[in-house]
Amino acid sequence: MRSLRLFAALCAAVVSLTAVPARADLKVVATLPDLAALAKAVGGDKADVTALALPTQDPHFVDAKPNLALALNRADLLIAAGLDLEIGWLPTLQMGARNNRIQTGNPGYLDASRSVSLLEVPAGQVDRSQGDVHPGGNPHYLYDPRQALKVAVAIEARMSQLDAKNAATYKANLGKFTQELQTAQAGWEKRLAGLKGVPVIAYHRTTAYLQDWLGFKTIAFLEPKPGIPPNPSHVAQVLAQGKSSQVKLVLKEDYYPDNIAKLVASKVPAALVTLPGGTDFRTGQTYVQRMDLMVGRLEKGLSGKGE
Amino acid sequence: MSSHPRRNPRALAVVLAAQLSASAAWAQQSTPPSTASPPPADAPAPAAPQSPEEAPALSPEEMAEIERALGTDTSTRARPSGDTSPASPTATNDSGTTPLKLPNAISGGTNFLNLSFILDMALAAFSSKEPLQGGGHDPTRNGFNLQQLELSIGSVVDPYFRFDSNIVFSQFGVEIEEAYVTTLDLPANLQVRAGQFLTRFGRINATHPHAWDFVDQPFVMSRYFGAEGNRGLGVEGSWLTPLPWYVEVIGSATDATGEATARSFFGASAERVLSPLDFQLTGAVKQFFPLSDDLSLMWGLSAATGPNDTGYRNHSTIYGTDLYLKFRPITSQSAQQLVLQAEVLYRRRQVPEDVLSDWGGYAQTVWRFSNRWATGLRYEFGSPAKTQEGRIATDPLDPEWISNRQRITAAVTFWPTEFSRLRLQAATDRVGWRESPDYSAFLAFEVVTGAHGAHAF
Repeated sequence: MRSLRLFAALCAAVVSLTAVPARADLKVVATLPDLAALAKAVGGDKADVTALALPTQDPHFVDAKPNLALALNRADLLIAAGLDLEIGWLPTLQMGARNNRIQTGNPGYLDASRSVSLLEVPAGQVDRSQGDVHPGGNPHYLYDPRQALKVAVAIEARMSQLDAKNAATYKANLGKFTQELQTAQAGWEKRLAGLKGVPVIAYHRTTAYLQDWLGFKTIAFLEPKPGIPPNPSHVAQVLAQGKSSQVKLVLKEDYYPDNIAKLVASKVPAALVTLPGGTDFRTGQTYVQRMDLMVGRLEKGLSGKGE
Repeated sequence: MSSHPRRNPRALAVVLAAQLSASAAWAQQSTPPSTASPPPADAPAPAAPQSPEEAPALSPEEMAEIERALGTDTSTRARPSGDTSPASPTATNDSGTTPLKLPNAISGGTNFLNLSFILDMALAAFSSKEPLQGGGHDPTRNGFNLQQLELSIGSVVDPYFRFDSNIVFSQFGVEIEEAYVTTLDLPANLQVRAGQFLTRFGRINATHPHAWDFVDQPFVMSRYFGAEGNRGLGVEGSWLTPLPWYVEVIGSATDATGEATARSFFGASAERVLSPLDFQLTGAVKQFFPLSDDLSLMWGLSAATGPNDTGYRNHSTIYGTDLYLKFRPITSQSAQQLVLQAEVLYRRRQVPEDVLSDWGGYAQTVWRFSNRWATGLRYEFGSPAKTQEGRIATDPLDPEWISNRQRITAAVTFWPTEFSRLRLQAATDRVGWRESPDYSAFLAFEVVTGAHGAHAF
């Protein structure tokens, strides 16, 4: 009798040890911190969201660290930006994760680019002599809140499909997020109305969607071809173009080098604006806060106060 | 008879070398704006207007300033090296496989197969008439060497399997280096590979030359496993444990034969498999520790055992440990990365009336100081085989190996893009049984074309 009770106690102890403490219903892994922020906005406390890349990291070049594969191993949903942005590292992680749910084509894999209106889809033949051209279209669509909203809608649909019992929560969260984003967006558009038609220089082709939204004109890129680092003769050319078109802003992400952008900005002269590379998701920043930060920096740049 | 067939590849090599360096120079310098008439292929990219009337009117001082600023922009983003995806993130295998397909735009809609070609060649100079290069892909003689032309073909077969193969063309023939099937949907975090594959002993064994940080293979690999590294026809199972950190357990059984691939085991001898003890069994545990966002550590333990041909039921066993420490700042803007990698192997062989033991290994460090440039240093060591009593034995595989051998290698690598690579390497080989040290120098070129493989960690 006593041994039975001991056994029961032992069982209880084992069960309580192995039982997962109050876990969220849906484990979500997003490749980019922006996507993670959108997933968190929709998932709320029902979703446990992880981002694979940091906002300070160039999303083209992420190390396929095994601990990232471990996160994928335990995920119910993988959200990727798609359009080959992560082709250098995500396939390895997906294979190594041994998790069939999140393999390409299964419901646990969401290619967010499928829900946005793509820009810069090459019409003709593509090869690598053109640099790192994305044959499916430009993958940097999360700079445009209108596209981000479409992604959030797709995330809501997928989360509801995978976790039907929380569908109402996801729907409500999406509604809240939509309202918050659209209100903020109207404000941003008002603050940045002056950007319309303004010529700018960008570092990499990350500005396509941003300019589509805000109406500025990217007249040149510091990279001679996407993914190829700047070289003197190209920079000289860009600088001359910048001077003759009276460029107002030089845009670059956190993760691109400073010096050449600074030099060009000072020579034109134009304001250098460093765009956040993504949401600082780990510290709890939301997508709206990230966009707000970016809009603030653009606004400052527009008023002539770059960094 | 001998000169004619040899001339063609040489001529090809020269042309390729010239083109490679020219294209590298192109990538580096770009064209002066006055001649900037973009090739027609550039058309689809919605490029920035490059109108010639806006030709730069910059003073030489301004040009110098630009060049200075570019020179100080060391924090251009880091590019991973050109290795391609394995079935597992701890596998350093680089079979050029990716579950993603060629985009329709490239493949014209038929995208069942991923194809990639990798060409490695080197211009080599040796001080010794008989250089001690053991690796099958190593440059081995003065002049141009075709290290390999690798064709990787891979594809998902169905929802349950994917298929990968690496076919290597040399000047003397074609070889199936790897051809295996990997399961996609086994329960309990299991994965099985079947076919011919490089065993996942240690770190470097499972990799192909384009994943190496040096032109040649550490000599411990060719000495213990053979010129091509340890591979075999067989089955491998691996399990990702449910522990909170990354622990992968791997076990495989392969045929212990093959002169170039199972040297310490049956090797070239015509022994047959009579019992399960006649297979080569390989086991490994790989653990990964993300020490911080910027610093990662991978640690592996491996062992391989199999029969050798010195007598009935005589076995060879090789134990190894490998360490890979990578510092790559991603929390701040930087292109620098520093990698330390080391493997130590210890071998015991049963021979008639004795047990021979020896050990060897290498340690290397590679510092990528800008996005296009890296430099590396490697130290290698190999001890002679000793008997149980501690005397230097006559090694049945390497009878001349009667004292320590050490080799020190330095290399500088330049990547025009992540798909091409130029490398200059020099080494001094302190071979204990030779009167004077050997010296070697290589200039190696590599191009990777075809489906973009994902990069292993």
